[in-house]
Amino acid sequence: MMSEKIRVKDIGKNPDRNLTTIRPEELIPLPPPYDDFEEQPDWKELSKGARENLVCNLDGFVAVSLPKPQNAEEEKKYVDQFVDGMKKLLSRENNWTFLQPLMLSLEYCIGCQTCSDSCHVFEGSGDNEIYRPTYRSEVFRRLVNKYAKPGGKFTAALNGADVDLNWTTITRLAELAYRCNLCRRCAQVCPIGVDNGLITHEIRKVFSQELGWAPKDLHEKGTVLQLEVGSSTGMNSLVAKDNVEFIDEDMTDITGIEVETCWDKENADVLLLHNAGEIMAWPENPGAFAIILEKAGIDWTLSSEQVGYDGVNYGLFYDDFQLARIALKHAGTAKNLKVNKIVMGECGHEHKALMTIADRVLTGEMSVNRESCLPFLEEIVFSGKIEFDPSKNDFPVTLHDPCNIVRNLGIVEPQRRILKYLCPQFREMTPHGVDNYCCGGGSGFAVMSVNNFTDWRVNIASRTKFKQILDAFADQPGPEVQKYLCAPCSNCKGEIRDMLHYYNALEKSSITYGGLVELIVNAMVDVKEPFIEWEMH
Amino acid sequence: MSASTVMVVLYLLLAIMVVAFAVRTIRIAKYPVHLRWELSPVPHEKGRGAYGGSYLEEFEWWTKPREKSLINEGIYMFKEIVFLKALWEHNRRMWYFSFPFHFGLYILFVMAVLLVLGSIASLLNLPTPGIGLVANGVPFLAGIGYVLGGIGALGLFAGRLFSQRLKPVTTPSSFINLGLLLAFFITGVLAVFSTDNFAYQATVFAQAFVTVYFAGEVTGPLAIHLIVAGIFLAYLPFTQMMHFVAKYFTYHEVRWDDEPLEAGSKMEAEIQELLQQTVTWAAPHIGADGKKNWVDIATSPPAEETE
Ligand code: HEM
Repeated sequence: MMSEKIRVKDIGKNPDRNLTTIRPEELIPLPPPYDDFEEQPDWKELSKGARENLVCNLDGFVAVSLPKPQNAEEEKKYVDQFVDGMKKLLSRENNWTFLQPLMLSLEYCIGCQTCSDSCHVFEGSGDNEIYRPTYRSEVFRRLVNKYAKPGGKFTAALNGADVDLNWTTITRLAELAYRCNLCRRCAQVCPIGVDNGLITHEIRKVFSQELGWAPKDLHEKGTVLQLEVGSSTGMNSLVAKDNVEFIDEDMTDITGIEVETCWDKENADVLLLHNAGEIMAWPENPGAFAIILEKAGIDWTLSSEQVGYDGVNYGLFYDDFQLARIALKHAGTAKNLKVNKIVMGECGHEHKALMTIADRVLTGEMSVNRESCLPFLEEIVFSGKIEFDPSKNDFPVTLHDPCNIVRNLGIVEPQRRILKYLCPQFREMTPHGVDNYCCGGGSGFAVMSVNNFTDWRVNIASRTKFKQILDAFADQPGPEVQKYLCAPCSNCKGEIRDMLHYYNALEKSSITYGGLVELIVNAMVDVKEPFIEWEMH
Repeated sequence: MSASTVMVVLYLLLAIMVVAFAVRTIRIAKYPVHLRWELSPVPHEKGRGAYGGSYLEEFEWWTKPREKSLINEGIYMFKEIVFLKALWEHNRRMWYFSFPFHFGLYILFVMAVLLVLGSIASLLNLPTPGIGLVANGVPFLAGIGYVLGGIGALGLFAGRLFSQRLKPVTTPSSFINLGLLLAFFITGVLAVFSTDNFAYQATVFAQAFVTVYFAGEVTGPLAIHLIVAGIFLAYLPFTQMMHFVAKYFTYHEVRWDDEPLEAGSKMEAEIQELLQQTVTWAAPHIGADGKKNWVDIATSPPAEETE
């Protein structure tokens, strides 16, 4: 238990100090050799400039980078806008997209705290009160009840009305909205069906859609860049094509299998939509896809249309309009090429954004067939078109379940059937499947590294996952055995990379990570040399 | 006390309850269709619900028939409603009180239904097995219901008072809800044990109530209990205690709503209408100008930020 007792109303008080302070010794302990926190790298100090200019009084970490206000008028302007935003969030015109689930979650939480124990952030932090799933929701609920509902001031006394509406409250709340991975594990256990992940998502929307506040990595360098240039990596389509050409050459060299990615092929069966980050950070992943599709004789293509070569859609995490803009581009690309279907690459949020969240806005001619790569790969692996030798994958393998694919979409077994077939030493984590824990990078965190936020991510958000990974390999913990963590999701891989790097787990435990297609290619009889490289990318 | 007074008060309170209950339920039901936000496990997924799988696990799922199992969904709901299974699994210490409390309420609900049916049966001079059931069943159910419910409510009330974990999300209304419930159970226990031939008294009152026949007397404790029950019922629809209605929607219309959009469907028509609404979000990148609707905005690039 934390020594300090933080109350809901404290969020608006004492702007001169942090609402809470995170101490390494209070976080849940990790198993050896990671149990001595003094051996871990020190946390990065905020720069003097950041401390002076940015709002940093939540927990000492900064994800949103809000400039401090110039004067009281500016504060008031934003506070008033926030109230307007809350009202719009409750309106049919401006928020029909999530109105019913939001209202149910705001109005019917009975306060049983069942959700707390399911949250990896709360648990990882050693039960810090402000990371409880209900803390942020309760702040918002009280503000909504009092300031955004008709007659709110009248009933507020009964429902708790003690949260001050001021600059400190709204800025801490904006920052706190980025201390939840939106994994929805809490929503699964709620006995009423309340969804604190959704409330967090909606709080982020108020800030983005009304006040224009969102982390730069998600907005300016994310959705805006993607819509402007074509990809949130900053690659335009020419650069993407060039890079893929290099990857093709590399793959041919490494495997001896001739690979040539086809671009913009009309009427292809499959439009493969990668997270373009793979092309830059993990080229072997799109490379492995190309090898598998070639060998299986699939009629497939990539698109070079603006946005059509990057499946990323950070709008999912903070802004319905950015989400819709990007989803429409993705669907439009498939329409223009007249393909049979879009197959999602190994990217969790791409799956969720395009397969389910955008489903109901892809009306009329925008409706295109959309499929996850996991059942698609399963079909290929068990089709007999490719010959496998599972003994080539005879090392310990465990599977991370990306929340957006598994908990949210219910795609659980195809990837397991592949791994059970191709990896003799496959073992599950505990818990797994739809009960898994988030990697800590969910809801955009994996690409957010400003200020000292990476330290927060790897130490708190990723802590439970890291412990789970170590436990899955507890039978062979030492560095002498090479172990593979399969994470079929780009953002999860981004987070896992930072986590393993921070804890130096490649050296201490020989744990490397990668996607599913790499394991498939590694087991192919036609691929003579090992495909998986046991080093940190 | 005269039964007439109690009846008038009760009719009034029940009228409030019925109207408020209907208004609130209709409000939830009338929210527009929303984006998909399903969450595994979805029990109606035939053969997959048990591990949380969905139809999206199928290769080219849109070419396959979607198989739903309403039986699995029914079993899930039964366990959840009767035994509060989610609470049992994820919050055991609360379940120890919440289960007797809710189960007590359910038993009392059955008792009330039995009373009303019994009184109708005797008014219609139907054969007597029903009457015997009422005579024996009502005091039995009442005894168990009030005591179980009372113990549970007391435990929950104590939890609200003393648990550090519950404190941050405990509001004055948590205490009012549980306080009223405690009053309801305690006055119920008193009414059952202080009234001679409780079943008979209750049946007579139920008959008068059903037929709007203003005559007769009710004992003091029973009268007090009936009025407390009425106050509670009238207050219920204004509170979070409507969660049992909300829960239907959070499960069926959110967690388990995995209906894909079909071309030409009613849902598609509704959504196309919703997309015509004017947007007024103020952030510059949205580009709302008071005229543009959802389609206009989603099909245009982010507006330039003007700082
Ligand atoms: C008229 C009917 C009902 C009333 C008056 C009622 C009342 C309550 C109250 C007062 C609480 C909060 C207890 C606390 O503050 O600690 C509660 C919680 C809860 N109720 Fe109900 N309830 C009713 C029906 C139901 C039904 C039908 C279900 C299940 C489908 C249900 C499920 C729950 C659950 C899961 C909780 C959370 C656990 C807890 O706080 O005890 N309730 N209910």
